[in-house]
Amino acid sequence: MIKRLTFGQYRCKDSFLHSLDARIKIIYVVVLGILSFGIKSKFEIVVFSLFMACIVLLSKMSFKELIKNLRPFYFVFIFLLLMYLIFSRDQIILGLRYIWRFLLLIIISMLLTYTTTIQELIAAIEKLSKPLKVFKIKPRNMAVMISVAVRFIPLMFIRFERTREAMASRLADFRKIRHIKLLVLNLLEKMLRSASNLSDAMHSRLYNEDIESRKFMKLKSCDYWSVAIIAILILIIY
Amino acid sequence: MIKTKNLYFKYEEDIILKNISIEIKEGSFTAIIGANGSGKTTLAKHFNALLMPAKGEVLVGGTSTKKDELNARKKVGFVFQNFEDQLVYPVVEEDIAFGLENMELGNEEIKKSVDEILKELNITHLAKRNVNTLSMGQKQLIALAGVLAMKPKCIVFDEPTTNLDEKNKKSIMGMIRSLNKKYRMTIILITNVLNDLRYADEIVVLKNGIVIFSDKKSKLESSVLKEARLYD
Ligand SMILES: Nc1ncnc2c1ncn2[C@@H]1O[C@H](COP(=O)(O)OP(=O)(O)OP(=O)(O)O)[C@@H](O)[C@H]1O
Ligand SMILES: [Mg+2]
Repeated sequence: MIKRLTFGQYRCKDSFLHSLDARIKIIYVVVLGILSFGIKSKFEIVVFSLFMACIVLLSKMSFKELIKNLRPFYFVFIFLLLMYLIFSRDQIILGLRYIWRFLLLIIISMLLTYTTTIQELIAAIEKLSKPLKVFKIKPRNMAVMISVAVRFIPLMFIRFERTREAMASRLADFRKIRHIKLLVLNLLEKMLRSASNLSDAMHSRLYNEDIESRKFMKLKSCDYWSVAIIAILILIIY
Repeated sequence: MIKTKNLYFKYEEDIILKNISIEIKEGSFTAIIGANGSGKTTLAKHFNALLMPAKGEVLVGGTSTKKDELNARKKVGFVFQNFEDQLVYPVVEEDIAFGLENMELGNEEIKKSVDEILKELNITHLAKRNVNTLSMGQKQLIALAGVLAMKPKCIVFDEPTTNLDEKNKKSIMGMIRSLNKKYRMTIILITNVLNDLRYADEIVVLKNGIVIFSDKKSKLESSVLKEARLYD
């Protein structure tokens, strides 16, 4: 069923985008995401699309990889398109525009996971969420939560698969709702149990949510360059 | 009982099993031995149709697993390496009944079989317990009971003694032996412990997905085990 589960699509490459600071990249995803919703006119869409094409080139993602990474979303695109075709054929151009913007948005976030390792992302989120302390959200908790999830989700799939196999070899039939329910409940129970085991293990290794990671991050010249590029884009569009 | 013919298997692009042709005789006690990652579990999962060969075929009682999954699953029981992940119901006696329910037996019959098995394995006192609160050795027994209850002709044990203390190790191995001797059940024991070979009468040695030996135990030479990196 699930043969290999990869989280994100990180590829180790030597590109301009790979060398950018992860914090900056996260901010760009937010900025570009907002921009992509702001663009309305044909002119803006063309400029923005060209800009995205340049970024994709800068990340050294091949066209083949791009298509492959978008595969999980094809269904959504087709569904949206069908909806427009069936319910508001007169607005099909508008619909296409929406779908195109949605596609751009997906590519934006895809580029982040393509060019940034999970570790970099987690460290960056921890740094960026420092201001949240005001709301009593602890950056360390955020970071640990994400890394735990990243480690756990594939593990959960593996255990899910094992239980499925064990059930199948005792003649379970997964067309029966009852057996699917059993499998899911079983997984939930295991998840809770592992979570509580993990929390014990973390505390016994003196987990402390107030400590901040000592990873050091410093902006480089390429980071400043990228700020200039984005600023120009915003100026063109507005 | 089980026959593989030129079996190949791969995960994605990695070839895990290469050209495997072995026969497991009815009523035999066969040990499959090999280092970690040599493909023992992957091979055994072909015996009850959990995996299908990429090339070649597996015959269980003369029928290809590709043609009839259910036949293979009914004939070949499987006690898994990670037995924690094979208990499906929260209560011991319900879990043991799981396979029987799937065989569509009546409630009376199921109850009878479960009680029999509990008595046989000396675990009647565990019947109402929550499986999650059991010890490793007890969980192992429940996993075995769940498979035994279905009365398969053949059982695969995937490293059944890891995680167990000496006493439980002995009693599980003794139980496996008596299944073979007393009930003429075909046993396939997967192991990486040389010591376990003493119970077996047929041996299959795996190395990196290739069978380097498959014959009676009396013909096994230590050079083969050395080649399989089972000791240095
Ligand atoms: N779901 C999977 N996806 C990809 N590769 C796998 C998967 N399961 C097993 N493998 C690979 O197949 C090879 C054989 O694995 P297998 O579990 O059959 O070994 P094994 O002989 O049972 O080892 P062990 O003694 O550690 O249980 C290993 O290299 C393993 O990494
Ligand atoms: Mg194994």
